[in-house]
Amino acid sequence: MRFYGKGILTGLAVTLRAMTRRAVTRQYPEVRPDLPPRSRGVIALLEENCTSCMLCARECPDWCIYIESHKETLPPATEGGRERSRNVLDRFAIDFSLCMYCGICIEVCPFDALFWTPEFEYAEHDIAELTHERDVLREWMWTVPPPPALDPGAERPKEVVDALRAAAEGRPA
Amino acid sequence: MTVAGVLDVVLRLVLVVGAFLLLPLLVGQLEHKAMAHMQSRVGPMYAGGFHGWAQLVADGVKFVQKEHVVPTAADRTVFSLAPAVALLPYLLVLAAVPVGPGLVAVDLPAGLFFALAVLSVSVLGSIMAGWSSANKYALLGGMRTAAQLLAYELPLVLAGSSVVMAAGTLSLSGIVLAWRPWWLVWQAAAAVVFFVSGLAELARPPFDMPLADSEIVLGPLTEYTGLRFALFMLAEYAGIVVLCALTAVLFLGGWRGPFGDASLGPIWLLAKIFLLAFVVIWVRVSTPRLRSDQLQRLAWLVLVPMSLGQLALTGVVKVVTS
Amino acid sequence: MTGAELVFVPLGAVALGSSVLVVTTDQLVRAALWLVVALGALAGCFLLLAAELVAWVQVLIYVGAVVVLLLFGIMLTRAPIGRSVDLDSGNRVAALVVALGTAGTLVTVVVGGFRTASIDLGDGSAGSAGTVGAGLFRYWVLPFELLSVLLLAALVGAIVLSRRDIGPRARDGGED
Repeated sequence: MRFYGKGILTGLAVTLRAMTRRAVTRQYPEVRPDLPPRSRGVIALLEENCTSCMLCARECPDWCIYIESHKETLPPATEGGRERSRNVLDRFAIDFSLCMYCGICIEVCPFDALFWTPEFEYAEHDIAELTHERDVLREWMWTVPPPPALDPGAERPKEVVDALRAAAEGRPA
Repeated sequence: MTVAGVLDVVLRLVLVVGAFLLLPLLVGQLEHKAMAHMQSRVGPMYAGGFHGWAQLVADGVKFVQKEHVVPTAADRTVFSLAPAVALLPYLLVLAAVPVGPGLVAVDLPAGLFFALAVLSVSVLGSIMAGWSSANKYALLGGMRTAAQLLAYELPLVLAGSSVVMAAGTLSLSGIVLAWRPWWLVWQAAAAVVFFVSGLAELARPPFDMPLADSEIVLGPLTEYTGLRFALFMLAEYAGIVVLCALTAVLFLGGWRGPFGDASLGPIWLLAKIFLLAFVVIWVRVSTPRLRSDQLQRLAWLVLVPMSLGQLALTGVVKVVTS
Repeated sequence: MTGAELVFVPLGAVALGSSVLVVTTDQLVRAALWLVVALGALAGCFLLLAAELVAWVQVLIYVGAVVVLLLFGIMLTRAPIGRSVDLDSGNRVAALVVALGTAGTLVTVVVGGFRTASIDLGDGSAGSAGTVGAGLFRYWVLPFELLSVLLLAALVGAIVLSRRDIGPRARDGGED
């Protein structure tokens, strides 16, 4: 049945009900936000894994990753062997004033050297300070959350399977 | 006049001015918090420490510090006078509201007509502001204010007259004394008409078409800054207090409560005022703004017939019971 | 002179001065605002004469409604800020003569009619709502009702003039 003013009464009831519920406001500076582990806050660098392959810098859509490296030659591991050469990282920096948080660098890194972390409080007064050098990026590594748990019944990750098999055979993984 | 007499007058005036400055702030804070919680927010939380109780004080300090800007093309005199014209009438009306048995700052024999007359002057302030700002949005707002006032003045006065007929007096204290609880039912339609037209005169949502911040910036207040703007804001909240006080006095028995009228009178009145102020805020949060044709339709096709019907009912009941 | 008389004179001067300003100012909207001052001062005069109800009704109807309607009309057509040079009328002298003549006639009639009559304002009940109401509905009920009929006729006339859809039917009936 329709009667005059029903819409108004419904509206009044909705607001009154909303008032009796707890507000959804997050008290951010007092209470840390509870962010999901996959939040895209800042990018961390595990520089031990980085081979200076430049894939991330090249794939970056806005060219905000700066990598400098030089080659070093290592003496041969065995007598009469070949000398080995490897890249040594001199500089790895991400300019977060340019970064658009697309995460392509993390996707393309073949050596798992880049990670997302949910940290977001790194605002600066000077825009130049937003270029995080390798030591800062390394520090962010400590805030990287553990990877999300696998689904129940999922198959084990490949590296775990490899490590278990190596352990069973008594050889280093 | 004796010393005691002078002291009495001074004390009454100080109390009225104090209530005039304090109650609108309380209503404003109530609006901040109630509106926030109705929208699942918490509202101001920092100023003053406890749940942002000093937010409006902070706002006032901010307004005082801001620059007075008068547009070049504006009519300076009228522009500067408008806030005072909008604010002062409410102070005068507040002085005529009875707060307890025999407790009223100024007891006027024709108190209701005084209140209605002075209230309608306040709207003149908005019109003056709208015209003198030399701004098309302000002018539009001023015209909308005028059109709205013309439409809602009639039901307001008619609804008030119904109570006057029932009580047999124009004095606000007399009306409270004559009031009986069953009038809540008898005068219900008049109460609704009075409250709704009062909201429209104050340009409170959903009747805020004169201000309509999403279409004409802020109507007549568009060009106002600093303290003058703060005075207009104060006028809006003082208007809510006055409307709620008048509605409480005319239709809800003013200072009369279930018990302890003699000592608790002012508290009953304050409780009723804040209950009604909450309704004002509640309606603001829950309803969208009315269009101008809807405004006029509501006034002329709903409120005026309703108040005329109420007048007839009041007359019939009055004749039958006397 | 009593206190009331002391206030009455300046109030009357304000009413008179602002009424003169209403017709002499060359700023259109300000003329309407001066009218507010004039009517307000007049209400003050009524108040001093113990005619409380008339004073408040004066403010309610004239300041609250008539001036607002006036301002609305002015703003709807044109409301320039500042001086309008074309606001002066060439009929100044004629208007002055008519105004003074009307005022003279009214004053003569009122003074002639109430030369010796006086009202005791002592207890202030002479202008109270009760007295005014009783007088209006006992002794002056016929003029009051005649005025109502006049207003009703004006209302009906306004509706007839403003509504196009209820005009007289087209005579030839060919096109409508």
